Amino acid sequence: MEKEILTCTRTGDSCIHVKHRSGLDIYICEMNGFSSIEAQFGTKYGSINTVFKTSSDPEYTCVPEGIAHFLEHKLFENEDCKVFELYAQTGASCNAMTSFDRTCYFFSCSKNYEENLRILLKFVQEPYFTQENVDKEMGIIGQEIKMTNDNPEWRVFFNMLGCMYHAHPVKTDIAGTAESIAKIDADLLYKCYDTFYNLNNMVLSIAGNISADKVLEICDECLHPCADKGLECVFPDEPDGIVRPEIRETQPVGASIFNLGCKCSPRLGLERLRDVTAASVASSLLTDPALPMCEKLLKDGVINSTFGGEVFYGSGYFTLIFSGESDFPELVREALFNEIDRLLTEGINEKDFQRIKKSSYGALVTELNNVEAVTNLMLSSYIDGISPYDTIEVISALTSADVMDFMRRELRRDRAVLSIIEKEK
Amino acid sequence: MIYERVELSDNVGFTSIIDDKFKSCSLAVYFLTELSDKTAAVNNLATGVLTISNSRYKTYADMCEKLSELYGAVLCSVARKKGNAQILGLRASWLDNKYAIDGEDIGGEMRDLIRSCLFSPNVCGEAFDSDSFALAKKDLLDRIDGELNQKNVYAVSQAVKLAFRDEPASCAAYGSRDAASAASPEDAFRAYQEMLRTAQIEIYYVSPQKDDSLAEMFRENFAEIKRSPKPVKISDHSPLKPEPLTVTEEFDVNESKMVMFFKTDSDDRYALKMLSVIYGELPFSKLFLNVREKLSLCYYCSCISMATKGAFMVESGVERSNIEKAKAEILAQLDEMKKGNITDNEINGALMALDNAVLQITDSPSGYISWFFDCFTDGRFITPQEHYKEFAAVTKERIIAAANSLKPDCVYLMLNKEVQE
Repeated sequence: MEKEILTCTRTGDSCIHVKHRSGLDIYICEMNGFSSIEAQFGTKYGSINTVFKTSSDPEYTCVPEGIAHFLEHKLFENEDCKVFELYAQTGASCNAMTSFDRTCYFFSCSKNYEENLRILLKFVQEPYFTQENVDKEMGIIGQEIKMTNDNPEWRVFFNMLGCMYHAHPVKTDIAGTAESIAKIDADLLYKCYDTFYNLNNMVLSIAGNISADKVLEICDECLHPCADKGLECVFPDEPDGIVRPEIRETQPVGASIFNLGCKCSPRLGLERLRDVTAASVASSLLTDPALPMCEKLLKDGVINSTFGGEVFYGSGYFTLIFSGESDFPELVREALFNEIDRLLTEGINEKDFQRIKKSSYGALVTELNNVEAVTNLMLSSYIDGISPYDTIEVISALTSADVMDFMRRELRRDRAVLSIIEKEK
Repeated sequence: MIYERVELSDNVGFTSIIDDKFKSCSLAVYFLTELSDKTAAVNNLATGVLTISNSRYKTYADMCEKLSELYGAVLCSVARKKGNAQILGLRASWLDNKYAIDGEDIGGEMRDLIRSCLFSPNVCGEAFDSDSFALAKKDLLDRIDGELNQKNVYAVSQAVKLAFRDEPASCAAYGSRDAASAASPEDAFRAYQEMLRTAQIEIYYVSPQKDDSLAEMFRENFAEIKRSPKPVKISDHSPLKPEPLTVTEEFDVNESKMVMFFKTDSDDRYALKMLSVIYGELPFSKLFLNVREKLSLCYYCSCISMATKGAFMVESGVERSNIEKAKAEILAQLDEMKKGNITDNEINGALMALDNAVLQITDSPSGYISWFFDCFTDGRFITPQEHYKEFAAVTKERIIAAANSLKPDCVYLMLNKEVQE
């Protein structure tokens, strides 16, 4: 196994990448002076991966919505105990999360990281599903689905995705629905596990007060080599256009909120990173309180300090989302598209562009201060098919012309969806 | 790590923490005042407007432009509470000069900007600038209204009002909507002048290398202010209600919320914390293992000890039809602890978790600031390691005594409207 040292030329930070003989990609960052250790063991398997096959499967398998999240819950149960009980013996804090394109298991500690890492690598590689423990989990996940449906931020986001995507599974709740999870059984969980929890489809990211050599020694001891199964996921054809431009829902909220999403063309690897960076700078310019559009909306009471933007992307989807609290979200939409038109006609002020770039650079460097953020950075870079420090390099090379090009290509009125959660009258 | 606290003026403390592993600098300026319905909102508006503009950057746009030029430096106001105290002020963070691409003095510029925010704010006569004040006021009113957006936060807030009824701690850190609506730029400026004179002030600065210029700036400016600090009694024991109270509200929600409050006359905060960890703070605590995992009654069910008020809270998300079952199991697990059904494994697990947690305090500027501020409010400066030793000294008997000291005080229920009982 060869250790590849990845270095950030701007800050001098570095981490190690190893392609382990088991098939696993491992990222390690030794952070001097820090006490904590964060580790994430992740798979490229999320809620969108509902249709798939391996090279030995004759046909595609189609599984119920919410199964990746269900599997995450069940993997925390060993044959003889719960994983939480193992971590109770070491004092580590542990948890897991499932998103659209990944499932991650993680721990955080400041002592006994060697033992914690062994527990992590072991339990993720040793599934134990029975019909009895699957049935028992239905109630808890049903509660979780209900709870998230009471979260207006969640509702406004999924309502937007539902109006934006015709067929892509990103429009479906990560946890699925009460009906979809009722179709899950132990056999289906094993089928998904065997397909996606193959080390060739997985990554270990670990940072903090660690020794890289010790981490690799534990990996040698605990990882079971896997043959690459030639995993292939397919997604339905997704038209460029949206389903409908607006959706409203009333909820018991104190402040009305909105998501305004622009459906953009999905890309991959470094090409996607360039678009993500351009989109992020465009979003910063369009939500910058220092610039006249936002200054006026704030002064007129149309928006408040919650107004902001974010880039949301993955396999087959890419959206720039503007969000915040407002009683007048239609005015925000109008102002935003008028400002985009103005920028495309008059160009971006170079001083503003350089200021936003500096601000983005500052945020990226500050992230390297934090053990958890570094672990996330390394894991996300694997999932996104890039190198951990590529973002700093790409932002440094970005020009205002790149941002103009992105806005001209992607920020179109006819591909915008406004989702609103309104207060009850 | 190097730590030093000096007194810059009467009850104005400046704590400097130097840790060379960080790439950024962080500052927190806290004003401590007694919580009161009369002053909470206007005090909050006063510190809120400080971060919107100052005499040099006279509009929010100017302020935001300057902060983004300084590599996205962050400046925001703070409003929270601890026991009977309202904690207001501002927090700032910025990239260390070492990482400035064009050699800018980010730290020096931030020092000047913060000086201007605190000691030369944007005023017109005896009032804050009206445009800046209007922005701060809208933001505060929206924060107050928006509390209902997060149902668990709203439920806990209502339960706190019920548990500490007629006490300063019942007041929200933001203050009330009515008081915020009624406040004027003059009121807010007066409130700020009063805070500069009378609040207890604690300042925290975390940086990768020694830099005395911030402390000097604060010393010079506080020398101009005639201080007359008022003591704030943060901690007291909230009285137990004669009969436990239950208050319910109905909303069009899918999941109900239950928040249970207990009161204690115990001052053994380390035993209460150990009790809390074993009972319900972690995924291997009794509440998680039994209420959630074994009986599948709640997606979340956890507890927290509020030692400053002699209170103890259990919060949960639960189906309306399961509320009584969940309550019974929550109380049954507490009874187990009262009877001494606590294993060595549970005690060791709690200690291990606390040991891990205290060591992580030094890994972030905010960890340092919270730690030293808590030491200040507790009136006792100890290291995280000494803190851990206090937990390690807690015996099973002390945990049992802490459990037996808990008496039911009140329950707040947010109920799903659609289910008819």
